[in-house]
Amino acid sequence: MADATVLNLLLWLPVLGMLAIARTPRGADGLVRGISLGLMLLQFALGAWLYARFDPSQPGLQFATDLPWIREWGIGYRIGLDGYNVLLVTLTTFLGPLVVAGAFAAIQKDVKLFYAMVFFIQFAMLGTFVAQDLFLFYVFWEAMLIPMFLIIGIWGGARRIYATLKFVLYTAFGSILMLAAVIYLVYSLKTTSGVTTFAFADLYRNQLPLGAQSWLFAAFALSFAIKVPMVPLHTWLPDAHVEAPTAGSVILAGVLLKMGTYGFMKLGFPLFPDAARAFTPAIMTLAVVSIVYGACLALVQTDIKKIIAYSSISHLGYVMLGLASLDLLGIQGAIVQMVSHGLVAGGLFTMVGMIYERCHTRDLAAYGGLAKLLPVYSVFFAILTLASIGLPTTSGFTGEFMALMGAFNAAWPLHEAGYSLPLWLAVIAVTGVVLGALYMLWFAQRFLFGKEKAPHQPLVDLDAREKLILLAFVASIFWLGLFPQGPLSRTELAAREFRELTLASHVVDEGTP
Amino acid sequence: MNWQDVLTAMLPEHVLLLGMLLLLGLEIYTGRERGGFLLAVATLVVAGLAALWLTCTGYAGAPFLGHYSINAAGALSKVVLLAFALPVLLVSRDDFEEGRYYVLLLASLYGACLLVSSDSFATLFLGLEIMSLPVYVLVLLGFLRPESTEAALKYLVLGGTATATLLMGVSLLYGWGASLDLTLFGSALGSADTLAAAGAALIIAALFLKAAIVPLHAWAPDAYEGASVPVTAYMATVIKAGVLLAALRLFSTAALSGPMAALLAALPLVSMAWGNIAAIRQTSFRRMIAYSSIAHAGYLFYAFLGAGEGRYEAIVFYLVAYGLMNLLAFAALPRGADDTTHDHLDAFKGLYQRKPFAAVMIAVAMLSLAGLPPLPGFVAKFLVFRNVVAAGYTMYAVLGLVASYLGIYFYLRVIQYMFMGATDPAAAHGRERRFAFVASMLCLVPAVLLAVFPGWFLNLL
Repeated sequence: MADATVLNLLLWLPVLGMLAIARTPRGADGLVRGISLGLMLLQFALGAWLYARFDPSQPGLQFATDLPWIREWGIGYRIGLDGYNVLLVTLTTFLGPLVVAGAFAAIQKDVKLFYAMVFFIQFAMLGTFVAQDLFLFYVFWEAMLIPMFLIIGIWGGARRIYATLKFVLYTAFGSILMLAAVIYLVYSLKTTSGVTTFAFADLYRNQLPLGAQSWLFAAFALSFAIKVPMVPLHTWLPDAHVEAPTAGSVILAGVLLKMGTYGFMKLGFPLFPDAARAFTPAIMTLAVVSIVYGACLALVQTDIKKIIAYSSISHLGYVMLGLASLDLLGIQGAIVQMVSHGLVAGGLFTMVGMIYERCHTRDLAAYGGLAKLLPVYSVFFAILTLASIGLPTTSGFTGEFMALMGAFNAAWPLHEAGYSLPLWLAVIAVTGVVLGALYMLWFAQRFLFGKEKAPHQPLVDLDAREKLILLAFVASIFWLGLFPQGPLSRTELAAREFRELTLASHVVDEGTP
Repeated sequence: MNWQDVLTAMLPEHVLLLGMLLLLGLEIYTGRERGGFLLAVATLVVAGLAALWLTCTGYAGAPFLGHYSINAAGALSKVVLLAFALPVLLVSRDDFEEGRYYVLLLASLYGACLLVSSDSFATLFLGLEIMSLPVYVLVLLGFLRPESTEAALKYLVLGGTATATLLMGVSLLYGWGASLDLTLFGSALGSADTLAAAGAALIIAALFLKAAIVPLHAWAPDAYEGASVPVTAYMATVIKAGVLLAALRLFSTAALSGPMAALLAALPLVSMAWGNIAAIRQTSFRRMIAYSSIAHAGYLFYAFLGAGEGRYEAIVFYLVAYGLMNLLAFAALPRGADDTTHDHLDAFKGLYQRKPFAAVMIAVAMLSLAGLPPLPGFVAKFLVFRNVVAAGYTMYAVLGLVASYLGIYFYLRVIQYMFMGATDPAAAHGRERRFAFVASMLCLVPAVLLAVFPGWFLNLL
């Protein structure tokens, strides 16, 4: 019980932060920053404690709370940690203080509102991860739109209004169809079993016919695929990333994009396994298209933020590939890749923000030879570049490699059975690794080496705050790359459960509608 | 019928009547045109407490058998209506000082209270008319600008049409069933008789007109724009709630089928879609809210598709969530943002810089009206569509949700103007209304409770 309190405290700490910030006097920006950083660090401490205390050998929920919320409708305040979300929760709490500290210099306008919104989105994201009740999940899922709308819209770049509206309208469209699916799912369950419930554990036991499953899966999948984002639903992402302030980009790349893949893993596949298996070839194809197309687009960008934005599309393609492979290695790889991408892309966006604060342009052509101009900055940038490519010893390698292994593992038996779609898909997916190395190295070469040029010279190299932030990113990337055993052991049971749930059949009487 | 029953059952109405008479008497006796604000507020509070007392004691009685009855649920409707009127009254002081404004407002509330207790078409008609007639004057009483006259006239003519339609429907039903009892409507809904169907359809049309459902909505934008802010808030909340609660009394728990169900599915759906699309093009805040209210009327009538307990829950919850949030937006609206010449959305630009409190309150209201969680508007929307799905209209539920999606943009645009725009130099730098803070809190606190503990409120129903 005491453990459950820690998780609750972790979840509600951002609300406390919002209230505390609201009480500060106007203009006390330093105080607001201090409160924010302090609470975020406390939250990370709680997150680390939960991660350490998480028992990898125990299946099911840990630190769980289950209280009735709206009893008549079977809605409960059900939260808990399991192998699905434990890494993502830790990642979210880890990025929190880095986002807050990273914004100290960049955000000078409406400081109070900004940190309140960072806390708001932190609350919504953590809530989405820990929710074990579909209603609660949906509330948190949709609530994420509000702070992100404001973060991009108020503190963003020149085309921020366009970008933020595009982001909201894209994601809201997916969610509205998901809401219809949620309501229908619960009601169909009520008619078959007589119980109204929104608990994940009960909903997994639905017995929908394939037709209904397909519609519901399509609605959920659309919502999740927009969030991931998978090609061709990705067009909001470059705009949102480019226009968002650095903190917004880090949150977006670090955590928000994982909502989509997490949704597929926790809900989309296990709730509608028969439909999910039917859709798997399409999902794998789209995942591979995302990997290759995202990489190709990243190759031709001249805006440094856009390169990283498109690389996100490519990297999340691996996550989807690993999940859809339904292979144990692939699933675990997908989870590690989610965390890895959160760290690497988060770090890269932070670094882009740092250079933007100094030079006020994101045009790649304006830069060159930064290795001489900003040596410390360049070292960090090179490390993050290599992590993005997936160099062994960094986290990117663990995730990508395992996801690809999963794809091949899934492909071989099918290949022998004469079902050949995944094998050549997996082969194409590997080319994404090469393309990834190409665009990142080419980017780093033009950015760090060559003729020295940069606007607004002379440039000041990183200060202590910035070094500390980047050090945290780099350390975590190496930690995940060198010692993946801890995270992997925590996700193993969940990966097995995910596989079992997705391979189960819910259709009771085949043939009868 | 004995006098104790009449006294107890109609206590809220009696208090309102007493308040009106006192206001009028005071004005005649002292000859002062101003004042009356405090007396009106006191009257309203006492009437609300009386209704609350009736709810809590679970009093049930029928002082005029077959015409007027009250039970705990009916008394709760009155609590809701009177509670809606309180923020309206509180923010009225800057716009209206004349005693007649307060008398008219209380008179309209009297009608609304009568309406939600009616058992026969005669009382229903009386209540509807007493509720509407003062509002025709209230629309005109505002700024006395040219548009107000036009708006009042339009509202009057269309209100008259609604009355005529209602009477026509009632007389057809009377011809069919030889009774004025409201339950006749429920049986007419399921009847195959042409006379009954025509009567029921006409009554539904009258309700649609009063609640502004497409294609009978055209009066609303003009009336909302022409009236002053408190009156617009009153129309968007109390009048709409009164009409819907009357509809709830008419439909009761009758199941819908055939053409009637089609009528109650199709027109509200069109209403949602059109209200939300047309709102996008508005440049005036109150016209936008008018179109938003047209869309919300659509959601409310959608809830009638499902029969039984869910219908009542969904409609009352929706009315409360929608009403509170509309009132919050209007209560927090600073003067000047809506002045005679400045009812323009551009006046909202940079409002957060000038009036952070007002901006945050309006933003909360807009997000809730858009139906985004964690605000009460989401739970309300969820309830309505849950009811529609439970009744088996899955396709209509999906279409309705897509229509509600269309509405997100224009609500967000208000927030965009307030938080993301630079202050428009032409924007009026008006002050917040007196009591705006109290009125806002009266809306915000219950709304937060509603969002956090929806189950608690539903248990009351």
